[in-house]
Amino acid sequence: MEINFGRIEGNSLAYRLMMLTFALLTVSGLIATFYIINQGLWVTGMHNRVPWGLQIVMAIYYIGLSAGSLVISGLYGVFGKSEYKPFARIAVYLAALLLIAGLLSILTDQGRMDRVFVQPFFHFNLLSLFSINPILYISYILICIIYLWALFYEKQKFTKVISIIAFAWAFGVHSGTGAIFGFGARVLYESPLLPASFVVAAMASGTALMIILLVTVFKLTKRYLDDELIIWLGRLLAILVIVVLYFLLVENTYRAYVVEMRRAAIYFLFSGAHSLVFWIGLIFAGLVLPLIILFNRTRGKSIKWIILASSLVIIGVLCERYVIVIPGLTHPAELVPGGEITYSLAQEGIAKYSISYLEVLQALGVLGVIGFMFGWGLKYLKLLPSEARAFKLEKNAA
Amino acid sequence: MDRRDFFKAAGGSILLAASGAYAFQFLTAPSKAWTKIAAQTAGRKWGMLIDLTKCPPDCDACIQACRQENNVAFLGDKRWDVHWIRKVNLKPAIGGRGAEKQAILLCNHCDKPPCAQVCPVQATYKRPDGIVIVDHHRCIGCRYCMIACPYNARFFNFKDCEDWPNKDYPKRSHGVAESCNLCVHRLDKGLLPACVEKCQAIGAGALMVGDINDPESDIYRAIAAGGVRRLKEDLGTEPKVYYIGL
Repeated sequence: MEINFGRIEGNSLAYRLMMLTFALLTVSGLIATFYIINQGLWVTGMHNRVPWGLQIVMAIYYIGLSAGSLVISGLYGVFGKSEYKPFARIAVYLAALLLIAGLLSILTDQGRMDRVFVQPFFHFNLLSLFSINPILYISYILICIIYLWALFYEKQKFTKVISIIAFAWAFGVHSGTGAIFGFGARVLYESPLLPASFVVAAMASGTALMIILLVTVFKLTKRYLDDELIIWLGRLLAILVIVVLYFLLVENTYRAYVVEMRRAAIYFLFSGAHSLVFWIGLIFAGLVLPLIILFNRTRGKSIKWIILASSLVIIGVLCERYVIVIPGLTHPAELVPGGEITYSLAQEGIAKYSISYLEVLQALGVLGVIGFMFGWGLKYLKLLPSEARAFKLEKNAA
Repeated sequence: MDRRDFFKAAGGSILLAASGAYAFQFLTAPSKAWTKIAAQTAGRKWGMLIDLTKCPPDCDACIQACRQENNVAFLGDKRWDVHWIRKVNLKPAIGGRGAEKQAILLCNHCDKPPCAQVCPVQATYKRPDGIVIVDHHRCIGCRYCMIACPYNARFFNFKDCEDWPNKDYPKRSHGVAESCNLCVHRLDKGLLPACVEKCQAIGAGALMVGDINDPESDIYRAIAAGGVRRLKEDLGTEPKVYYIGL
């Protein structure tokens, strides 16, 4: 079956409004960033006890979202489901953009952005995950570009090879990102499970994003999209969500079971705003509700309901990223074993973090940048297949 | 793949590996300045001993001395204040009905510093004489070291500090993470760190700094006499700040 790829016209009012919105978001993000550079990071919600804030949450969230490409490449490159190959172009393009978004979020979070492009080249530290990860990210972006080249020029054999490379590399990218926290020395960070659970949550959010984007873009550009393909992705999403739930269960049971971590587990699960984010945002709305929808016999096959479930998963995984980063910092480390600090010149005990509007503007600015580039790509690159059909069973019957 | 392709690929990978190995050596080789410091401080290892039993209550001489010497920011807001050395009150696990204890917290100058391991640009590093130090011209401000430090001893310069009491020492600039450097500029000149000097000047003598590798030093004798504790020894970071009476 020959598939033709095309661009969109990009003349409609909706498209122009979308691009204008993204451009405005970018500008507001830039203004916020310049203000922060000028004033110092104290104008954000961060302080000495919570030195990582929304920008880090968003960075790992964006990087996780890029796993949609991992799923698509895996489906046809590794598992041979070639009916998903038509989506590869848009998935890989999006993955590269989301990796750029992650890098932009990290960049704009630095205290001295001017040095980021200089110092690592002179004083590279191989042992730091903050050195290893950028290499993984940048090389992954390069792999995505080569991959896109292979797709655009229809190099059949090479596409297969690079899809497998990209699939494997993405595991490194997401595991490395999870390891920043999992290999950290804080009670609520330290967990060898985190790189693995990060990969699965990334795949869930990536699949959900692919479902939403494919359905929306195909519908808006009046292209035929076989429901069967989306329903199958929905089923995959359900399985991934179950695995995410399982990892969360293991991790939290472990923390609650081991005496030295029990206080931290209680803090994580039952106190503060982050507990609400965990129970309501992540567990209930982000994971259980989508499962109920996706496993329902009729709703699991309705595209509208699958879209709803996917949107919930996307929000749920954002909540997951938040509860990875923030509670681990607000929870106090026991500085003097056996002694509870009652007074100090600095902040001790449980710290507070509230997101500042500047950080929100920065996060939206990054979204604006990649949204604009995505829209640009739809107009100028041949990303979209003319149609997407599931292979019918006749072939097997014959 | 035919033979020609195979040789191309093999040759390419060998070339890549060789240049990688060369770059690795180039990137990790010690600089001349480093070799010089290593020679000067051969075999020396600075450590600190804090005798809390001698620490007078309601005394903040060491903290003030540190601010005067190192131009550390004091803005009056707990969120962004920088404390290279700080005092805390403790409710100990035993003796709960008694009075609260006080303790002094600062960078422990770990022998295996997690902060230095995670620094992506080696702005934080351990000198050959054991002092953990930040090059504040190199730090990119990623704050990973603050996450990695188990002692909350690292502080970020969130704001520019207008105070500049010690003009011989650089003003602290915003956007970098820093911590106690054991007044390395004074130690290298043969002086004691500002906090230690002040503590001795007021007659308390609770702080002591010296070479813990030298069996003739006062600090070695005091530590060897026993009854000292280090913070979170189980983490294996090998702190070089010792406490008496904690």
